[in-house]
Amino acid sequence: MNAAPRLVGVGTALPRKRFTQAEIAEALPGLDRRNAAFFRDRHIASRHLHVPDLGVDGRLRDETQGELLARHLDGALEIGAAAAREALDDAGCPADAVDHLACVTTTGFLTPGLTARLLPVLGLRRDLHRHDVVGMGCNAGLNGLQVGSWYAAAHPGATSLLLCVEICSAAYVRDASVSTAVVNSLFGDGAAAAVVRADGRGAAAFAPRVLGFESHVVPEALQAMRYDWDDGQGKFSFFLDRDVPLVVGAEVPVPVARLLDRFGLRQRQVAHWIVHSGGRKVIDSIKYNLGLTDHDVRHTLSVLKECGNVSSASFLFTLGRLLAERVARRGDVAVAITMGPGVTIETALLQW
Amino acid sequence: MTQRSESATLEVRRRVATLTLGGRPGNRIHPGLIDDLGRVLDRLEDAPDAEVLVVRGAGGVFTEGIDFADFAGGNPDVHGFHRWERVVTRVERLPMATVAAVDGPAMGGGFQLVLACDLRVGTARSTFALPEVKQGFLPGMATFRLAKWVGLGVARRWVLTGEVVGASELAERGVLDRVVPDGALEDGVAWAVAALGPVNRVALQLARRLLDESFAVSLEDGVGHLLACQARAIAQEPFLRTLRKAKGSP
Repeated sequence: MNAAPRLVGVGTALPRKRFTQAEIAEALPGLDRRNAAFFRDRHIASRHLHVPDLGVDGRLRDETQGELLARHLDGALEIGAAAAREALDDAGCPADAVDHLACVTTTGFLTPGLTARLLPVLGLRRDLHRHDVVGMGCNAGLNGLQVGSWYAAAHPGATSLLLCVEICSAAYVRDASVSTAVVNSLFGDGAAAAVVRADGRGAAAFAPRVLGFESHVVPEALQAMRYDWDDGQGKFSFFLDRDVPLVVGAEVPVPVARLLDRFGLRQRQVAHWIVHSGGRKVIDSIKYNLGLTDHDVRHTLSVLKECGNVSSASFLFTLGRLLAERVARRGDVAVAITMGPGVTIETALLQW
Repeated sequence: MTQRSESATLEVRRRVATLTLGGRPGNRIHPGLIDDLGRVLDRLEDAPDAEVLVVRGAGGVFTEGIDFADFAGGNPDVHGFHRWERVVTRVERLPMATVAAVDGPAMGGGFQLVLACDLRVGTARSTFALPEVKQGFLPGMATFRLAKWVGLGVARRWVLTGEVVGASELAERGVLDRVVPDGALEDGVAWAVAALGPVNRVALQLARRLLDESFAVSLEDGVGHLLACQARAIAQEPFLRTLRKAKGSP
């Protein structure tokens, strides 16, 4: 029996409605030529969005902050529950066997949180231990996995369910800024879940162990990536400084080296990389700073292409594709990297 | 410092490391040599003290190529070839500048290794060929690399005919940077080592990688890759030193 927590099941879910980049550009009125170019970047082909039906003019209606929050909750419950059920199925775990639920979201604030609202939807027990990780951004999937892994390690045999669910389309605003065009052309909706257990039982005996985490915060770039209140809009709005991808790339070797050093590993011993699909620039920046190949980031790029940046859920989509590929062998080591506001880089070491 | 093994010897003297292929007659390539190369590359990657790696062969031969003796026993499988490709790719990506110094024949895998190095020098008598297709198999990723050097037409001729190419023709095609008289290989090595210094590891590795990708990437992507690399390069000490020098401060 091994005490290290294992990822014994993974599930993902997307909203039913799928849009090409051109369709989204048309549905968002008021894009000037410069901003429309962001929607032609071929690294994203389509995104799935939990949005109301388009109007007769083919446009997405402008929504109030209240409507956006309601849409976030509605979408989060729908695709969040679907991803959670898929992960539980994958692990062969009935809903009433879940002891701990961690829900991660940034794209809508709500109290009571998603953990409480999903409890009856999923049929979870009333003595459920819960943690809502809210507002931490794209990196937060790994912060959630920390909570789940530490819970599982502290309670051998207990089952922790991690759910990352983001309705990024409820964070779109309408203005002529470059930052808004980047956000509206990049972020998609999606949910992903993982079942974590520290005794290795269940269907997936061949499951990656979570060996450890390293975090790296760059407070000098605190203002460079924000999702905060915009008085002019009367809405929450996402701001992204253009240098963020470069800052992340320059800093990413720090936590990766610390993580590998801690376990006496060299980078050439890392067989798989699970990198957050943050966007073309930041993926390039990480690639060239760590010396990764296109093959190393193949799933990162394919998730970006088909779903856009689904924020905290992205890395589990990438992990899911790696698992489905069935190339990992016993002993293989993987490094997961997520990055987000703070500026924060979160890393985790997995081993099969 | 010297690291000795049966078929690949590494010697590091100050800023220059020398990897010498040896072992079997004709310095032929076999699984043990690939293992030895892997260990030498571990050493070079883990402790990149040298600025330049010179790759050469012992006894007036670079290498005669693959040793079929190791296939005699059983069914050939593709994994040994995969291990060879990994070794060649690691040479191509080393955190130091690399020089292939060829005297005598560089056949098959030998020619493949030459194509992985940053600079390539050879004596007048050195010869190069990819005989694999005539022998019924493939010259590794030379099929991928060679056309970038000499164009598709010449690459096709060399790969399909196994033609033995002399040093002067290889120099005309831009594959050899310098041809030196027989017996004067050290002059060629000295020229290459001097030409590559001072070695700025980060800029060298990034430039090498961007050049390598230039045939396969769109201009739009290429600019993105360049900027990601440039941001890294200009944050490094060698560029900051260049800036200080330009300002006239020490």
